[in-house]
Amino acid sequence: MSKNHPLHSPPGLARIVWAASVLLCVACSKNDDIASMTYTCGSVDPSAASGAGDPVNDCADLDAMLPPEPTLPADPDPSCILKAQQATSETPPAGWIPDESNGQTTVDTARIGAALKTCKVVKLVTDGANNAFVSGHITLAGATLWVDAGVTLYASRNPALFIKTQNCGVAGVNDSGACNDFITVSGASPAVVGDGIIDGQGGEPLIEPGNPSPPSWWQLSGALQQIDGSIGNPTLINLSTGTTGFVLYRITLHNSPKFHVKITSYPPAGPTVCTTHGDGFIVWGITILTPSRWFNSQGLVMTPHISRNTDGVDPGETSIATCGVMVHNTISTGDDHIALKGGHAVWNVLILHNHFGTGHGMSIGSETYGVYPAPDGTVLSGVTNVRVCDLTIDADSRPVGNGASPGDFNGIRVKSDSSRGGIVDDVVFKNVCMRDVNNAILVSTAYNPLFAGTNYPQFKAITFQNIHDVTCMGLNQPVVTLNGFSPAYPAGPLTLDNLTVDNIGPLAVEAEFSNIILGPGAVNFMPSGLDVTVTNNITDASAPTNCVFPTLPAPQPPAGWLR
Amino acid sequence: MRRLLALQTSFATLLLGGLLGSCTTNTALQTSLCSQDPSIEANCNALGVDGGPNGQALGLTGYQCSGSQRPDQNATFVQGIPSGLVCANRSAGVDGGTSGTSGAYCCTSQTTTCAYNPIAICDPGTYGYECQGANRPESFNPAITCGQGVPDPGQGLIDYCCSGVGLPTGCTELDTAICPGSTVGWGCSAASGVLPKGQDLAESKSRADEYYLLCAVPTLIGPNNIFCCYPPAQVPPGGTCVQDTTVPGCASTRFGFACYGDDRPDQDFPPMRCRDPGVPGTSYQGYPATVYCCDFAPEADGGV
Repeated sequence: MSKNHPLHSPPGLARIVWAASVLLCVACSKNDDIASMTYTCGSVDPSAASGAGDPVNDCADLDAMLPPEPTLPADPDPSCILKAQQATSETPPAGWIPDESNGQTTVDTARIGAALKTCKVVKLVTDGANNAFVSGHITLAGATLWVDAGVTLYASRNPALFIKTQNCGVAGVNDSGACNDFITVSGASPAVVGDGIIDGQGGEPLIEPGNPSPPSWWQLSGALQQIDGSIGNPTLINLSTGTTGFVLYRITLHNSPKFHVKITSYPPAGPTVCTTHGDGFIVWGITILTPSRWFNSQGLVMTPHISRNTDGVDPGETSIATCGVMVHNTISTGDDHIALKGGHAVWNVLILHNHFGTGHGMSIGSETYGVYPAPDGTVLSGVTNVRVCDLTIDADSRPVGNGASPGDFNGIRVKSDSSRGGIVDDVVFKNVCMRDVNNAILVSTAYNPLFAGTNYPQFKAITFQNIHDVTCMGLNQPVVTLNGFSPAYPAGPLTLDNLTVDNIGPLAVEAEFSNIILGPGAVNFMPSGLDVTVTNNITDASAPTNCVFPTLPAPQPPAGWLR
Repeated sequence: MRRLLALQTSFATLLLGGLLGSCTTNTALQTSLCSQDPSIEANCNALGVDGGPNGQALGLTGYQCSGSQRPDQNATFVQGIPSGLVCANRSAGVDGGTSGTSGAYCCTSQTTTCAYNPIAICDPGTYGYECQGANRPESFNPAITCGQGVPDPGQGLIDYCCSGVGLPTGCTELDTAICPGSTVGWGCSAASGVLPKGQDLAESKSRADEYYLLCAVPTLIGPNNIFCCYPPAQVPPGGTCVQDTTVPGCASTRFGFACYGDDRPDQDFPPMRCRDPGVPGTSYQGYPATVYCCDFAPEADGGV
């Protein structure tokens, strides 16, 4: 069992109660024509539920398919244990971020890189008060990088250490391939483990000689937001094509300049040989918290909204990802929490017992066009055979920041468009609780309607079972979208079984080009729309899923600030 | 695509003013020159077998038109929302069916939130729609194919150029082309006369969030035009400059523009730098304009 994420999480009841008491008055509308919002702020401690056990955490059928929890390796040879040579402090501003003015970066890049070439396991440890490593681009081929408790491995703020094209760190240039990754992973059974932290320093000023006010990675990304552009910032951890049996275990990731983890990995026996889930990849017990502080070292407020394109974990982003598990993780970031990217193929993935804070959702897509002919003759397509169970998504875990859009508060999202669409099939979202998300369920084939192409999204069997979205502090009515692409490419069957979205308005359900099955559990709205067929199989008045939201890691506000 | 930028703002106004009195939700258009045709309709809905994975009946209506008539030409705007049929031409006229020589159409049976745009300037063989919302014309009519959408900042609508018989052959990205700064090389058949478009980026996930390319005057190498292009920001509201690769004296790899108003290309398309003043001339569309020859010059590059 992981250190921080027991299977049955204790409830965060206290914060729910106060929020409910404060916000109940907001619901007192004087306009009889507008339904009042109901603020429930969660439910009761599941341990006190009457005999029903804990339906939210009940994933027994899927738990039986999980591999054993990974373990930390044995200590390596002393020559493979590297001691920190500088210190950082949580007391700003002195020592807040590592000093990179004295050549320290070069030392750490070289010695970490050298150790990873000769050692099967490289362990980074503290040395007295020294607790920090700073490095440029690292390659990890078939080895294990172990960041010990108390240690932070920082990505350098110097773009020169990540240069891939001339545009790395250059403002205003739309070149998503400009920089190397911070850690590039490849080979057989590579791993990044430990109770330490890897910090990408995405919100800190870059090192630009001669520039007294250099931008941060995130500011470079934000500068392209107006044109919907894509900056070439480093990915924190990126797997190369051909990687097998990757493990990410217990590590904490902060402040990636762009995506945190891109996974392409499959079982050693082959992409379609999934003897045990996890043979392909394991992400177990990790924490992603971005931004990790309220301010950067320059005093600028850091919010999820400004940490643009900082996806949490994206299987399939670079190439195929199959036979994986993602278990007991906590993710709070500025873009998708998890996004299954089917640009090549994602197949057979279990996503169990995870807790999300701020972010753009538990997502599939937008790339779903992948077709992978495996050596054994099997053809994998898009995103298939996925099970998500026991998931909480809590948009109230911390403030998102000025300028936030509804998309900053997504729940479950399946997205694509005709430039990158393909098959999404045999996907089940089960036992999911959400709080104050704007888009509770978004099945969208028009991720960006501007994009042309004939890769039409083909969303097939997708099931939403035991889903409950509650309102606590939110003021907007949540929205459900169930859209296929066209009469030729309808979505469905989309099965809604025991699905309750509190405070959903009559105009807040959008559906078109879709075949929808309701039941057997109750659904508290009725989809309708252009070319929509609804089969109503509701046979019971099942109670909404009982939701309890754990307190998630979040930056502590400065003294005297209200959250 | 580039041509859509010039006249898009006037289309909605034109329709609104001219057709306000004809607000209707025609679902089975009958004009003296267009009539429903069951044999065409059978062919239209066969697309559900061949074109769609599920073989659904597509609910399209077949029309036979004569002259320059189209089944979708009576589109309207109701409180700023386009309303009209979306039709796929089923014969390959070079003008997309506007010359009066064609033909057969597969159309939606209901009005949609797209309106046929009779004044859109699209590539040969394609014709324009202006739509509201997330649905592309293909969503309403699977028999049609459309190019990259171009937002109309003034109306909040999206313009498309479409065809029922396939879009013109596109261009290919060339990593080997020598282009200034961070512009990217593209090769296109010189004979076709087409320019690189957003849809030529295809499903490139790394740059899928770019939808519009601005290209320099091409260099002719063999049978191909070699372009250097970059994805610019949207033209600000009121911007009147459009790219023009036919500006006299504008050399290869430099960017030509035609501006219909007082604005300059470096205002509309940063980081474009136009050192020389514009000169009165004629745009490639044949309208009086101030033409410019400019350079791609992001600050980081220190000019080209």
